[in-house]
Parts: sequence; C-alpha cells; structure tokens
Amino acid sequence: MTGPPLYVALISFGVLAGVTSGLLGVGGGTVIVPFLTLAVGLSQHAAEATSLLVILPTAIAASFVLRHRGVGDLGLALRLGLYGAVGSVLGALLALALPASTLRIVFAIFVGLVGLRLTRDGLSRSRT
Amino acid sequence: MPATLMSRAMGFRLRSLALDPKLVAIGFGGGVLSGLLGVGGGIVMVPLLVLWARYRQRDAHAVSLGAIIPISIAGIATYGAAGEVRYWDALGLAVGSIVGAQIGARLLARIDERLLKVLFGVFLVGVAILLGTHG
Repeated sequence: MTGPPLYVALISFGVLAGVTSGLLGVGGGTVIVPFLTLAVGLSQHAAEATSLLVILPTAIAASFVLRHRGVGDLGLALRLGLYGAVGSVLGALLALALPASTLRIVFAIFVGLVGLRLTRDGLSRSRT
Repeated sequence: MPATLMSRAMGFRLRSLALDPKLVAIGFGGGVLSGLLGVGGGIVMVPLLVLWARYRQRDAHAVSLGAIIPISIAGIATYGAAGEVRYWDALGLAVGSIVGAQIGARLLARIDERLLKVLFGVFLVGVAILLGTHG
C-alpha cells in the first residue's frame, strides 16, 4: 500500500487501536505492531519503534479524558510509570542477553492464564 | 525528568516519588517486561493491579494508561535513537488513535466492571495465542 489508501488504512486502524487502548488500559502496541508488519510491511524492529511513537499520544489523550471524568489517579500513575521507565531500559538491555523465544513462550502462558482467570472472575455472578 | 514536565503540563505537581512498594514492583515489573518483550506495559500492569494490588478493574486500566506515558517516553529514548522510526506511518496512526483513545476512555469511564473484566480477559487470551504462535 502507498499514497492515499495507505493513509486511510493507517488512520482507520489508528481509531480502532485507540479505542482498544483507551478502554483496555494498554498501550496499543500489541495490536499496532502486527498491523505494521503484516499489513504495511515494516520490519519487526521498525514496527516496534514506530508503535512507541503512536502509544505516547494515545495514552496522553486517554489520560486527559479519564482525569476529566475523575477515573483513576494520574499523579500516582505517572509515579508508577517512572519506575516502569527505569525497568523498561533494563528490560531492553536484558533482551539483548537472553533467548527471546523462551521468554516469549513463558510470557504467553502467563498472559493466557491471567486472561482466563479474569474472564472467569468477570463471568461469575458472585464477584465484582 | 519527562514525567515531571508532563505532570506540570497537565496541571499538577508530583508530590513525591514515594509509593506503596507493591505499586513500585508493578511499575518496575511492567517496565522490564515491556522493554524485554516489546509488548506494552499495560498488559502486565493491569492484571497485577487487579489480582495483586486489589484495584478495581476500571481504576487499574486508568492507572495503567497514565503509567504508560513515562514508560513509552523511555522506550522512545531507548529505541528511537536507532533511527528505525517511520514518522509518516506513526503520524497517520496517531491521528486516528488520538480520536479513538478518547472514545475508548469515555467507554472505560462508564462500562460495567464485570463486562470490562471479561473483555480484557478475552483480549489477553488472544494476545497469548498471538505471542505463542508468532514467537
């Protein structure tokens, strides 16, 4: 894809990624990276770098709305994120030293189990 | 510090960096996994905030979104320097996602907690399958 069709696709997918991000409290990289590699044809590395630039304004836009609606605590969130920022630099350095495929599988299992647990909690009548 | 500038721009000051150790661990852990695997920190922080720190589902999502701001700034500083960012593609996506984020956040502010939990749970299972098969 090139020219106007590419931009229509990018903006449309951006809206979808933004809604997912704002509602589910995630950055959106999980959906943006596969879109950029599979549909736009970027390399994995370029897709990850590019998605970070999209995540930042998305998180800011959602946080403004939530702060206005009185949901959550942005000051606390930003402090939490500062520790996360330190962690993410360490994680990136660690990624260079460890076998990525093993980590990915372990992580996939963790995310899958947590997902099933939350789905079950949400569906059960007795819990909130 | 980016987060300090960010918080000033948003109209308040960071009181201090002191936090519940549990929250420090969640922020730090979310950041490490984010840097390590290239996934968003939210996918780790939201479950930990709910299952470990006992946050309500809605608040956990809101806190995660705020925490992603400094985390993604660090990510851009780490990876952006590599020069692989495709600025025009990022701009196109960002135009859409800034609009989408406001729709999503408005939905988050009013959605039923249990429905939110189920949606997020199903999303996580989907991500797990994607990670497991595309590793």
